[in-house]
Amino acid sequence: MTELEFVDLSVKLGERTLLDRVSLRVAPGDFVALIGPNGAGKTTLLKTALGLRAPSSGSVRLAGSAIAEFDAKSRAALIAWLPQHIRAEEPVSGLESVAAARYRFRESHAQARRAAERALCRVGANAYANRRVTELSGGERQRVAFACLIAQEAEILLFDEPANHLDPAQQLGIYRLLGELWREGRSILCINHDVNLLHQVGDAARVRVVGLRAGRFLFDAPFDAAMLPAQLGDLFGVEMDALRGSEQRFIVPRSRSTP
Amino acid sequence: MKLRALLIVISCLLLLLAAVLAGPRLNDAQGQFIIWQLRVPRVLVGMLVGATLALVGAVFQALFQNPLATSDTVGTTAGATAGALFALALDSSRTIQGLPLVTVCAFAGALTGSLLVASFASSRAAHSSDVLLAGIAVTLATSALASGIQYVSDSRALFAATQWSLGQLPQVGYRGVLLLAPLCALSCTLLLLLTRPLQTFALGEDLAHSQGVNVPRLRLFALGLGSLGVATCVAWCGPIAFVGLIVPHLVRRMLGSSYRVLLPMSLCVGAALLVTCDAFARLIVPGRELPVGIVTAALGAPTLVFLVARGRR
Repeated sequence: MTELEFVDLSVKLGERTLLDRVSLRVAPGDFVALIGPNGAGKTTLLKTALGLRAPSSGSVRLAGSAIAEFDAKSRAALIAWLPQHIRAEEPVSGLESVAAARYRFRESHAQARRAAERALCRVGANAYANRRVTELSGGERQRVAFACLIAQEAEILLFDEPANHLDPAQQLGIYRLLGELWREGRSILCINHDVNLLHQVGDAARVRVVGLRAGRFLFDAPFDAAMLPAQLGDLFGVEMDALRGSEQRFIVPRSRSTP
Repeated sequence: MKLRALLIVISCLLLLLAAVLAGPRLNDAQGQFIIWQLRVPRVLVGMLVGATLALVGAVFQALFQNPLATSDTVGTTAGATAGALFALALDSSRTIQGLPLVTVCAFAGALTGSLLVASFASSRAAHSSDVLLAGIAVTLATSALASGIQYVSDSRALFAATQWSLGQLPQVGYRGVLLLAPLCALSCTLLLLLTRPLQTFALGEDLAHSQGVNVPRLRLFALGLGSLGVATCVAWCGPIAFVGLIVPHLVRRMLGSSYRVLLPMSLCVGAALLVTCDAFARLIVPGRELPVGIVTAALGAPTLVFLVARGRR
């Protein structure tokens, strides 16, 4: 099993600092929810983990080696990604897109297609197998990309707001699926805007919530920590209330009373 | 789908056969000569050129995730034009090792133009859109160079340059076929081997990278191989417009976008389309041949508009 570690990572874009000495460790079997306001550097953090962005200083280490030292296929065996926006210019079928995601495997096209069918089934997207990705809605395309990520069979999974574009029922479904993948032994680093969805992954007490603001690391707390509502409030600059459900705690922004 | 692909392949073969036979009625001895020594090699050249241009067009569209990308956009054609004009301004009748100076210079110009773009493309930081911009920059720069050459050329060279830039299938006999075939075959075969990594580009190149594709290397290979094939074609035939742009779109309309189908079928349809256009160019004005480039452009432009309009609906 593989560990992903960000060590004192800084990323600069010209004069702007996107990440400022961030250190974070995702141990095998961890579920880390990355949370923060827009522009906090969350997506940049995921992109450096994939080698899509080079660190200005510090490093991203995968199984103890710098990410740049991996060749593309062996990196793809360890780490997979669900981006927030899926480009679709080419009218390929959903099935072909997912089969293509098996690039790292040496296998026949028929084998790739069978694996792609299984992956599409798993995310409940079999209906999109023969539809063109250019004709799918944002949410449908997201599911096809989710199937791509499953088909890649990597150990560490990176998600960039996987519930984006989805209706509430689908959001719950996606987070349950995240929980399933987690219980299968994968490590997960997931950008998330609504911590309450984390209840869906099951065993939420083992989930870590990491706060990031303006490129800086703010906190790393267990999901059930008593301090979490206050920390989230501080992170977003609003007051947060913790509401008790029957078994679960929900963290919601306090609505300002009108005078 | 398989049936449809088969039907298209059969129609392509029929078109190729028709292109050999089409023409005025011929008597025996002369007819044999015209068919075997003139038309067949010309059809073979047309097949090689059409297939290469169409396949490279399909590959470049995949690579740049841009439906308008062709070899014209990445500096190849403009480089070839500058090279050819340079040769025509010097002396169009000179040969090097038995090859026309124009062909040699156009080939060198095409490779120089594409290598400039390819060197930029192999950089890790460059995104596809940056590479496309670099291609446009190289195209503009070489066009300026070509205009400069034209400005100082005499009228004979200018006329030859205009003729060249229209694009036509040359009457080069079997020797021309033998010179074209190896480079076109090499370029096309190796490009077809890139089908699998290119398919990952359909959902964006960053995702392709995360799925294990070495993006800068793939871009360098595809650009290099594509430019080699196109440089070979342009050097002999001049810039033949629209084949590389239209054929992939036609195939996509008929058979969808799986590159396992799109790439080989573009090869097939490109060959048939260019040869058919050339037969048209040969026959449409009795007693006179039009350059095939005029026919492809005349057919290609409205086809493109039609495809775009259909696609919007």
